[in-house]
Amino acid sequence: MNVDFAVLERTGAVAGGIIVGVVAFYALYKDWSTPGVENHVFKLMLLLLGFGAILAILAGINVLGNFPKVA
Amino acid sequence: MAVASIAHGSAHGDGADQLYVETRELRLQGFLLFLVSDCVLFSSFIFAYLYLRNSGQGWPPPGIKRLDVAFAAWNSVLLFGSGATMHYALENWKHGNFMKYMWMLIFTIILGAGFLGGQAYEYTHLIVAEHVSWWGSGIFGASFFTLTGMHGFHVFVGVCYLTVLLLQSAAGVYTGQKYFGITAGTLYWHFVDVIWVVLFSIFYLI
Repeated sequence: MNVDFAVLERTGAVAGGIIVGVVAFYALYKDWSTPGVENHVFKLMLLLLGFGAILAILAGINVLGNFPKVA
Repeated sequence: MAVASIAHGSAHGDGADQLYVETRELRLQGFLLFLVSDCVLFSSFIFAYLYLRNSGQGWPPPGIKRLDVAFAAWNSVLLFGSGATMHYALENWKHGNFMKYMWMLIFTIILGAGFLGGQAYEYTHLIVAEHVSWWGSGIFGASFFTLTGMHGFHVFVGVCYLTVLLLQSAAGVYTGQKYFGITAGTLYWHFVDVIWVVLFSIFYLI
């Protein structure tokens, strides 16, 4: 049996990215009104974490990083 | 014992606890300054890489293939996932759920170690199969291995740090009011995640 590892990796990236993105944005939503410097830093980092998850999803579905093959 | 410590705090050492509370903000500021300085370090390398990349005749240089986006995306999700588990480790600590905190911390360590394993696999593949190396592939190899290597070292330090946190937590070092080490660990781990968002974008997606 010939397994295409790239497809498995992309599927894992999309599935994992959705889970991480949902968790990150939900945590951000829950912590939105928490005061204090450290909580503001956490919120910024959760936002960027969610952004990273979106990038991983877009890379997984070939929207980003889909470059033409060099001849 | 540790669970009881979370709920009720330390019964002795009130003077030390008072000092801890009074100096917590200072330590937080110091740690944030450390993260800012680390950010400056990464920024200088990143801007050097972008400058070199845009001063050549196309990227990657002739003879070097593009990096494997599919594998990098999968490996990135491992690291991003560890950021989420670390966040919930801290949340569970704050709410006194000791066992959930421990499990989340263990998942974070496993995912971080998994990311390092993925990076080791990618390095091996690049060096052995694609003949791309730090020392012999010009600007591409030098910038890729320097930046991702520096980040990988940060992840390795983070995994060691979180392992120490795990052992300290099991030994009852932290309490419900006294847990700056866990907060600092969470901040550091999020920082490592965020740096990877940038590196993943500039090396694999553009």
